Amino acid sequence: MKRAATVAYWVIPPLFCLIVYWDGLNAWFHADDFAWLGLSRNVHTWRDFLHAMFAPMAQGTLRPWSERAFFMGFETLFGLDALPFRIFVFLTQFVNLALVSSITQRLMRSRAAGFCAPLLWLANSALAGVMAWTSAYNQALCGLFMLAAFHFLLRHIETGKRVFYVLQWTAFLLGFGALELNVVYPVLAATYTLLCARKYVRNTLPFFLVSAGYAIVHRIAAPNMGAGPYRMYLDGSILHTLWTYWTWSLGSRLRLVTEAPVWVGAVTVAALTLALLGFAAARALSRQWLPLFLLQWFGVMLLPVLPLREHISDYYLFLPTIGLAMLGAHALLNAWRKGTLLRVLSGTLLIAYLAVSLPVARAFTRLRYQASEDVRRLVLGVESAAQLHPAKVILLSGVSEDLFWGAMFHHAFALVGASQVFLTPGSEHMILPHVELGSASDFVLPPGPTLLGLERGDIVVYAAGGERLQNVTTQYKAVAQAELRSEPPRRLDLGSPLAEPWIGSTWYALEGGNHRWMPKRAAVRLGGPRSPSERLHVIGNRQGAGTIGVIAVADGKALTPVRSRHDNDGFEFEFALPAELAGKRMIEVVLEVDQTFRPGGGDERDLGLSFGVIEIR
Amino acid sequence: MATDRRRRAVLAICLALLALGSAGCKRHRRVHVQKTDEELPSLMSVLHVADPRANAQLLSGFHGVEQNAWRWTEQRFSVLLRPPRHADQKGGRLQLNFTIPDVVIRKLKTVSLSATANGQPLAPETYTQPGQFTYSRDVPAQVLAGETAKVEFALNKAVPPGDLDRRELGVIVLSVGFDAKQ
Repeated sequence: MKRAATVAYWVIPPLFCLIVYWDGLNAWFHADDFAWLGLSRNVHTWRDFLHAMFAPMAQGTLRPWSERAFFMGFETLFGLDALPFRIFVFLTQFVNLALVSSITQRLMRSRAAGFCAPLLWLANSALAGVMAWTSAYNQALCGLFMLAAFHFLLRHIETGKRVFYVLQWTAFLLGFGALELNVVYPVLAATYTLLCARKYVRNTLPFFLVSAGYAIVHRIAAPNMGAGPYRMYLDGSILHTLWTYWTWSLGSRLRLVTEAPVWVGAVTVAALTLALLGFAAARALSRQWLPLFLLQWFGVMLLPVLPLREHISDYYLFLPTIGLAMLGAHALLNAWRKGTLLRVLSGTLLIAYLAVSLPVARAFTRLRYQASEDVRRLVLGVESAAQLHPAKVILLSGVSEDLFWGAMFHHAFALVGASQVFLTPGSEHMILPHVELGSASDFVLPPGPTLLGLERGDIVVYAAGGERLQNVTTQYKAVAQAELRSEPPRRLDLGSPLAEPWIGSTWYALEGGNHRWMPKRAAVRLGGPRSPSERLHVIGNRQGAGTIGVIAVADGKALTPVRSRHDNDGFEFEFALPAELAGKRMIEVVLEVDQTFRPGGGDERDLGLSFGVIEIR
Repeated sequence: MATDRRRRAVLAICLALLALGSAGCKRHRRVHVQKTDEELPSLMSVLHVADPRANAQLLSGFHGVEQNAWRWTEQRFSVLLRPPRHADQKGGRLQLNFTIPDVVIRKLKTVSLSATANGQPLAPETYTQPGQFTYSRDVPAQVLAGETAKVEFALNKAVPPGDLDRRELGVIVLSVGFDAKQ
């Protein structure tokens, strides 16, 4: 009997996790996942590997274990089969549940509390993002390292054994490879020891030095952080953001997924807030600080993201809500011991919490699953289309906002070997731009190349949005011939065969179906700028060693460079255009590089830059 | 020691459960290349706007599909249709099935809808109540003599972005097309 109880104690939380988040286990890839999945395709040498693993990317993040190694390793082993990725996320979460249980049991010296805490955590709707989206794995893995570190701190305090202190250090240091949030661990450890095990406060101080060092190095290595929606606001909005996260944690989002009146969520949030804060305050008055520590767990874990008022995301609550779950378990246990009235009251609050939170957790997981399924249909449909029509350009009509931002924007099609995939002209108007990301217009094939490709039979057109991609080439050709005008494109993708009518004779042939080299000098014809404020953008992906200078001339007039960028992702030059070119139907742009190189291996070509896109916008 | 063994046993059970579950899933979820539908539809005379095959003929002013059934429009929206059989002799009847939601009427009070078919103006109609409507107009034969007919709709006002939605919202369209005239 005792054995069965022990098994149930450890198995029920993972089973509950599977029941609530089953759709998350079956979810496919979505959005940022594709950027990480594509990482390994750029790895050809050890240098590439080290860059892929450790160079700051996407808002300056440095997460070698949870993003780079995880995605590159699993993609190499399983390709685009999402299930192994999802199983690994769930296994990590099972370890987290065991750690939460163990920590709670040790903090409260109660197996009942240790059983309740992981279940309360799982019931929180804030977990849906992590449990259904693979890119949010960093939260789960960071949780594992931080929980493990804290677990070893408790073991060190319990036993006095140095091995646990060393293990705590190991978990803490590894945590930096999972998520930047790991920097707050010293606050957690110091606060706990200060409030509950003062003798050990000094042991936690060295952690602060490491966190401070990491913060400095990170700031130097990732200077791009803090831009766009990640801009930090150190003002009163922090309190508003904190309140938003607090209410989300306690069930305020019920009205988003059910017909329940607004007051149901509001009353539940108010009642749970009163209960949790009241409990923590009452215990603090009796100089029992554990509830206060658990409450500050929530705040400390949120601290780094509170200034991000334009980027409030539920997955940021993944780790903070552990504190609330442990506090809830503590409060429940205490109420249970204090007589019938408090038992009824706490039982009612527990039911209310589960009633407002579980439906949201299930619904959000379902929504993410469905979004990933739509993306899967699109991406694998394009793979099928590319196999049926090799060497043809694929145009997609009817790509919804969700599909565009969930797949196309992140270059998902490149992962299935389809690099020449564009939106039909005009599609961009159905997809609202995201200021922080960009717009769909970069993915549209201009009318001129579209008409040319349709005429030559180089294009197949598919309608997206159904169960399968529908080949609508014949239908679309009739629409295009009636509606599109053959005019020089303002955006020329040199990696496409459809660019040929608008490029000069010196350009080298298309290579690899996606790029083209220029020699020292090469010309293109583009539609003229619509206004004097538009600029010429010259964007490419490869060059020889060193930084190459580019001179641009438009209709015989030398252009003024206003910006240039060279990095591992490629290069971009931006030139101002003379006002008199505005409104011209077509202009000729000549590019000249200040140096060329020969690739060797019998290739006698003089190579300048590899393109890329030349665009006026 | 015994506790350690039990813990290891529990862990093994968890992993086995997950492995079993995943094996079960894998039978159904092994990644297959998604088939495409290669049947080539030609231009259609009637468009159900949620049908992906209608995408190409929705020229402008339509937002994404919602509830697998309908699309919001902007203030102006247009479609390209194939004229119905014998339309070059008998003309056709344009039918736009749409809904004006209560929230739009409350905001705008009245909405007038007008249209042109291949540039030929069709009589407008004004709506003062929310509900489901059909805007129906005869289109002369000479307008429908070609292979295609571009139909442009315009509302006299729409809900601007920001009030109800990030998008400009006009009416909710379910279908649009030509009926053949007998």
